[in-house]
Amino acid sequence: MTQNGLAEARRRWRGEFPYHWDADDLASRRGLLQFAVYASGALFASTGILALLGAVRDLARTQTQQVALASQVPEASAVYFNFPDADSQAMLLHLPGGQFVAYSQRCTHLSCAVFYQPDQSRLFCPCHEGVFSPETGDPVAGPPQRRLEQISLQRDGDVIYATGIQP
Amino acid sequence: MTGDLPPTPGQAPVVAAGLAIGILLLAVQLWLLTVALDLYLAGRGSQVWSLALVSGLIFAGGLAVLWILRRRPRL
Repeated sequence: MTQNGLAEARRRWRGEFPYHWDADDLASRRGLLQFAVYASGALFASTGILALLGAVRDLARTQTQQVALASQVPEASAVYFNFPDADSQAMLLHLPGGQFVAYSQRCTHLSCAVFYQPDQSRLFCPCHEGVFSPETGDPVAGPPQRRLEQISLQRDGDVIYATGIQP
Repeated sequence: MTGDLPPTPGQAPVVAAGLAIGILLLAVQLWLLTVALDLYLAGRGSQVWSLALVSGLIFAGGLAVLWILRRRPRL
């Protein structure tokens, strides 16, 4: 590039971008990129924390706990208990037909407590009128979109044990 | 003085495109976080690791770009 061409290029560049690089206090592209990388790190950390919390919760789910004696739970009734820890409410259902199933009582909408209503054959959340199927735990009406957490059961004679939470 | 020189022809669009891709990847990371939260609340926390891995790779890519840029002087 000739001297005249270089001078013309400088003049045009200065006209289009009238800031000297060394005195440029505006947000630079590098500054923006640095901020974006920090934000990226924060998003990665948040996802990682969720993964860790999920792993810790899975560990807590692999315990065995006695729930009830089958002979003491009449058909079409429920027994409420805490599983896997003292702060987590759950329910054991004796369905018409003799089958036992257990679910977390926590509604998958906004975590209100879900109750068994055998006369209407449904699991009902009174907060926002969410309804779940007692047989599968699937949402059938109202705002909930996800099924209730199902608790694995094991029966040893008359004793029913909770052995974990199914994903 | 090098600060008076205009950037190399074609350099500015490349940098702008890089920034656009970076911001798009940020949006992808935000989406990954929402999916991870949904899986966690659904009790499927074991499936969140793969999302965290992808998010981490994007973050590592961003760090690599920053490192490369810091090795190059500003023109």
